[in-house]
Amino acid sequence: MASHDVMPDIELYQPVELSDALDLLERYGDDGWLLGGGQDTYGWLKDRAKHPKAMIDLNGIDSLHGIRELADGLEIGAVTTLVEMIGDPVINRDFGLLSQAAGRVASPQIRNVATLGGNLVQDTRCWYYRRGLSCYRAGGNLCYADSPQGMNREHALFGASRCVAVSPSDTAIALVALEATMVAASLDGERLIPAEKFFAGPDTHITRMTSLDPGEILTAVRVPSKWAGQRFYFEKVADRNVWDFALVSIAAAMAVQGNVINDARFVCGGVACKPHRLRKVERAAVGMTLSEESADTLALLASEGAKPLTYNQFKLPLMENLVRRAVRG
Amino acid sequence: MDVATYKEDIWGREVILGASWDLLWLVVVSAFVVIALHAVILAVRRRAARPSSAGPRVPRHSAVDRIFHWIMAVTVIVLLITGVFPIIGLEFSWLTIHWIAGLVLTASVVFHIVRSLFWQDLKAMWISARDLKEPFDATLKPGKYSVAQKSMHAAVTVLVLLVIGSGLVMFAMIDTPWWERSNSIAESTLGWVFLIHGLSTLALIALIALHIYFGLRPEKLFYTRSMIKGWISKEELEANHDPERWAPGKSS
Repeated sequence: MASHDVMPDIELYQPVELSDALDLLERYGDDGWLLGGGQDTYGWLKDRAKHPKAMIDLNGIDSLHGIRELADGLEIGAVTTLVEMIGDPVINRDFGLLSQAAGRVASPQIRNVATLGGNLVQDTRCWYYRRGLSCYRAGGNLCYADSPQGMNREHALFGASRCVAVSPSDTAIALVALEATMVAASLDGERLIPAEKFFAGPDTHITRMTSLDPGEILTAVRVPSKWAGQRFYFEKVADRNVWDFALVSIAAAMAVQGNVINDARFVCGGVACKPHRLRKVERAAVGMTLSEESADTLALLASEGAKPLTYNQFKLPLMENLVRRAVRG
Repeated sequence: MDVATYKEDIWGREVILGASWDLLWLVVVSAFVVIALHAVILAVRRRAARPSSAGPRVPRHSAVDRIFHWIMAVTVIVLLITGVFPIIGLEFSWLTIHWIAGLVLTASVVFHIVRSLFWQDLKAMWISARDLKEPFDATLKPGKYSVAQKSMHAAVTVLVLLVIGSGLVMFAMIDTPWWERSNSIAESTLGWVFLIHGLSTLALIALIALHIYFGLRPEKLFYTRSMIKGWISKEELEANHDPERWAPGKSS
């Protein structure tokens, strides 16, 4: 596959109103490409693996920027940069889990330009797919990563349905743990999608990572105050400490009173095509005290139901240990 | 319009990817046009008096055959919905429903084949030279099945066997309760399997549309009733069949 230093010839639109962006998206259909920070986009286009005719830059739309406090939580515009989130006092005070997750994305340079929306809707990093091979996800009829010779060290333990790629987003798991809601706009109006339903598995949407319909734009993310100020834990394990995607990551939110867990959300990244909720761990955690014994008990539940591939069995103890560490704090 | 779609395999060679689903619209529109034309022609023609369903009844389909028919009908409809809807953009978690329906269809077809070979009159479905004269000679009446019904059966047999055969190969490519997916079939072979599965599905869509249309036509409704209740009236028998060639009750 040829890789180029320069962008292909492409029409660039820089609308300043959301309605204009939606009109452009409607006009170009599959040939339109939404641009946030460009950190997923530029790789695709320079590798000539995707061939949109028009790029619709969302960064000039003021309404998609910024962090706003709501009566019940806060709203983060889709093109708010990760650096803005990391430095925001309200996010740091109430939703440290999210700023920790944003702070572990890629590298400082990338976080300066990468947007929350872009981080959430970015495509999978399965290298067979990114190389432009015609796999299931690209509309083909097989999965190269899951073939007998396939290299699948980074691939899925759960929820594989023909495709075994995983979601690369660090902020996604934090937002699922915080029970966020995604705001999607289209020419037909606005649609609110719970974070957990926003991310799509290959059983339903094998050629895309989210449940955004054609013609829809993610405009904002709303984080309810339910988990504000609770006990959080975020950890990302990758081959490198910066500029790398998670092998396995965890975002945990726990409502703890007097050392007893009253409610909990545990979400793992890097193990499925969408953020993977550890429901058994969550159910078992309620009523437990924060202790070494609880950590050991819950850890063993983390990897139940996993279907490891040829080269990713190491993710099982990794998941278990991340749950153990999350409970220990 | 292409019949097949192509892709580059991992070595950069062009191989078949599968059927071109642009053909779906051609199939749907063609079936609609044929049905509409037929309906208009019959509406213009003078209608013969329809035989009464009252009076003595004669058996046409045994309970076993009726159950088989409706199991097959339901599974084929489920297979078409789960197979085609995601392709036209109605996405849902279809794969598990699809393979379970496929296995039910396979089991019922195997049952039907064994039953027809050993317990039924196989010749009743065979298309003879005399059958081919039927459409052109109003004095010739069919035995149990008309040449149109036999042709439909033959076409559906071939297509269902093709779709089942290719489907079983594809079944080996996914996780099931009995094995884990292997993904070990060569890309070029897999392309042919997808092509056969896709084209036979497209042909089945056209045939099923015609089958449903004829099953709902007023003058043919008594056949549909017989597939539900098992009988036709003696008057319907005499008006549509040659008693010399089909003696109801003696064969199924």
